[in-house]
Amino acid sequence: MRSKHHIFFITLLLTTSAFCQIENLKWQKADLSYEKPNKFRERTYSFKSDNAGELLKKSFVNTYWFFISDVDGDNCAFRPSCSSFFIDATEETNIFQATLMFSDRLVRDTNPIKINNYPRDKSNHYYDPANNYTLNSEEINYLPPTFIVDDE
Amino acid sequence: MISVNKIFFLIVLSSFWFINVLAQTTFESQFNYAEKLYDEENYFDAVTEFKRLLYFDKSESYDYRANMFIGLSYKQGGKFSEALQFLSLARFHSESDKEFFNSSIEIIKVNILRRTTGRAFALLDTLANDNRFINKSEEINYWRGWAFIFSDDWQKAASTFSKYKSDEQLVELCDSVTNELYNTQLAKYLSLIPGAGQFYTGEYISGLISIGWSVLWGYLTIEAFIEDRILDGVLIGSMLWWRFYSGNIQNAEKFALEKNLEITNSALNYLQHKFAGEKP
Amino acid sequence: MRKILLIIFLVQLTIFPQSTSFDFHSPQKIKLFADYLFCEKDYLRAIEEYEMIRNQFVIDTIEFKVMLGYSNLGLSKNSNKIFSDFNIESKLYPDAYLVSMKNELLIDSKPLHYSEFSSFTSSQFESYVRLLNISALYGDEQSITKNNFLTLYSKEDQNTLSKLYDYKFDPPYKSPAWAGIFSAIIPGSGKMYVGEWGDGITGFLLTGLFAFLAYDNFKADHDTRAWIFTGIGAFFYAGNIYGSISAAQIFNAKINFEFSNGLKLFLENKNYFIPDYDFCK
Repeated sequence: MRSKHHIFFITLLLTTSAFCQIENLKWQKADLSYEKPNKFRERTYSFKSDNAGELLKKSFVNTYWFFISDVDGDNCAFRPSCSSFFIDATEETNIFQATLMFSDRLVRDTNPIKINNYPRDKSNHYYDPANNYTLNSEEINYLPPTFIVDDE
Repeated sequence: MISVNKIFFLIVLSSFWFINVLAQTTFESQFNYAEKLYDEENYFDAVTEFKRLLYFDKSESYDYRANMFIGLSYKQGGKFSEALQFLSLARFHSESDKEFFNSSIEIIKVNILRRTTGRAFALLDTLANDNRFINKSEEINYWRGWAFIFSDDWQKAASTFSKYKSDEQLVELCDSVTNELYNTQLAKYLSLIPGAGQFYTGEYISGLISIGWSVLWGYLTIEAFIEDRILDGVLIGSMLWWRFYSGNIQNAEKFALEKNLEITNSALNYLQHKFAGEKP
Repeated sequence: MRKILLIIFLVQLTIFPQSTSFDFHSPQKIKLFADYLFCEKDYLRAIEEYEMIRNQFVIDTIEFKVMLGYSNLGLSKNSNKIFSDFNIESKLYPDAYLVSMKNELLIDSKPLHYSEFSSFTSSQFESYVRLLNISALYGDEQSITKNNFLTLYSKEDQNTLSKLYDYKFDPPYKSPAWAGIFSAIIPGSGKMYVGEWGDGITGFLLTGLFAFLAYDNFKADHDTRAWIFTGIGAFFYAGNIYGSISAAQIFNAKINFEFSNGLKLFLENKNYFIPDYDFCK
């Protein structure tokens, strides 16, 4: 008798768990908004840092952004921009390797034919993160050119 | 004394009536059940129940109503193409001018929401030219105004709403938005004077920095040319002066667009959440 | 007169229970509606309806349709769970067997080890062999030659499968080391070796330009300027070598991606492995 109950409960559980997956697929009322999405780049000028070295680096970068990069227009066809790329590269490897990565990035930016090589992001720039160039093949996250990246 | 025949006749007749009513009642109660699900915002299940009703209803008497509800449920779920598919089906099965008009208006509203306003305008024109709906011109005009809002043409929206007194509040809103918006072309042309476009859009600091760079590199370029250092002059002029100068024009346009987006989005936000009138 | 009226009344009495008992949610009606939804490809709703009546109607066609529905929705595990209780005597069992093989491959990208089922028809056996061999592409053993592999499939698929086979067992990788060496000898050539012609030419031109400017300024005795140009040239030269190595790595990653992605898409889209049923004809 006991085993019959067990089987019943297990069946119930299995069917409800299958059902739950179905429930998750059912669409709900959508959170519609009349507003149009904001596709402009927002710089984060943060000075949050763990040590003096980082604070110094952030000051340099923010100064560069504020006085030069934000004023000379949108010159980089890539996202992250070349300066952000350099910052990410220094965070992932070291300054020497980052310099090499930066040099390569400048060459790739100067090359006018990019269309078949890189995926795009929402603001129609080419998506080219630093982790693909660290020479550590496990970090490479290849995305095909037809892909559209959704995160920032 | 009523004859037995007559009593029999009465029983048979009343049972005919009874059966018909009851049979309809089961379909009607299915319809009501589905409508209840819609009212409870349980849209997926509402669609299922309306589809169930339509599948079994051989009399086709629910075609208009059920398809309208299915379309509206999809609209609430944000699935606009499916919504349009079923609303068009509802319009196809409409049995009166009123039903035709209502389904057309719902189709127009979905087109407005997904910003395919060209289609919305075309449909509004068709309705406006239809002789059956001459007395509905106020409503048609109202949705035309909304279509202008969603095409980002607040000026035309204001002039459309101003045709009827009842839309005064909307006229005010659209007029105020039109007045606040920056003229993107003007921002670009003003930037021919470095910094002027950015001052126009209210970004004073950025404008000052732009002026600074343009003056510096411009001075160095001209100095290089005067001193006959042509290559230097060309290099500084093209790689530095031009870069900051064109950046200044680009920025003026970008600031104008950004600020305009903020203004229009806050107006749209007000319309969605605080405006009490009918919305798409 | 009375007799006629009595007959009419009795006839109505028989209609009466049927029409008032139009129960939308009776198992028979649910099954009819579910069948309609299945043929309209509204699998999610069809499964919901079928799940409501599966305990009352243990029919193999329903079980099979639910399996197919889950499979079409991408819920391969649920689909296979149903297969575990599928009646082996059923006429649909061989087809369900094939669907479960495909599901298993989508759940776990490993070579399949399913034995042949005795009652396969010849076309079912063909699908079985095709599935087995596709799954072999997920393993490491090159258990079949390329020609024998390709002949199992239709002509229109042979191109795709040929590329996938090569990518698995003989991938056209580029050597990062060689890319670096080439670029050290002629700047940009390493990138061209990897197939990045635009980047290679740009790198070559930039390094060349600054090398020329440095040489030119040294000749004209403008030493500081010449050293600056030398520095920039070296910057681009070193960066180009580095970039060629990483470009080769990215190229290899691209091969791996195109293989796994291509195989998955082939499995999901190909209708070989979905049996030709006539529920909806």
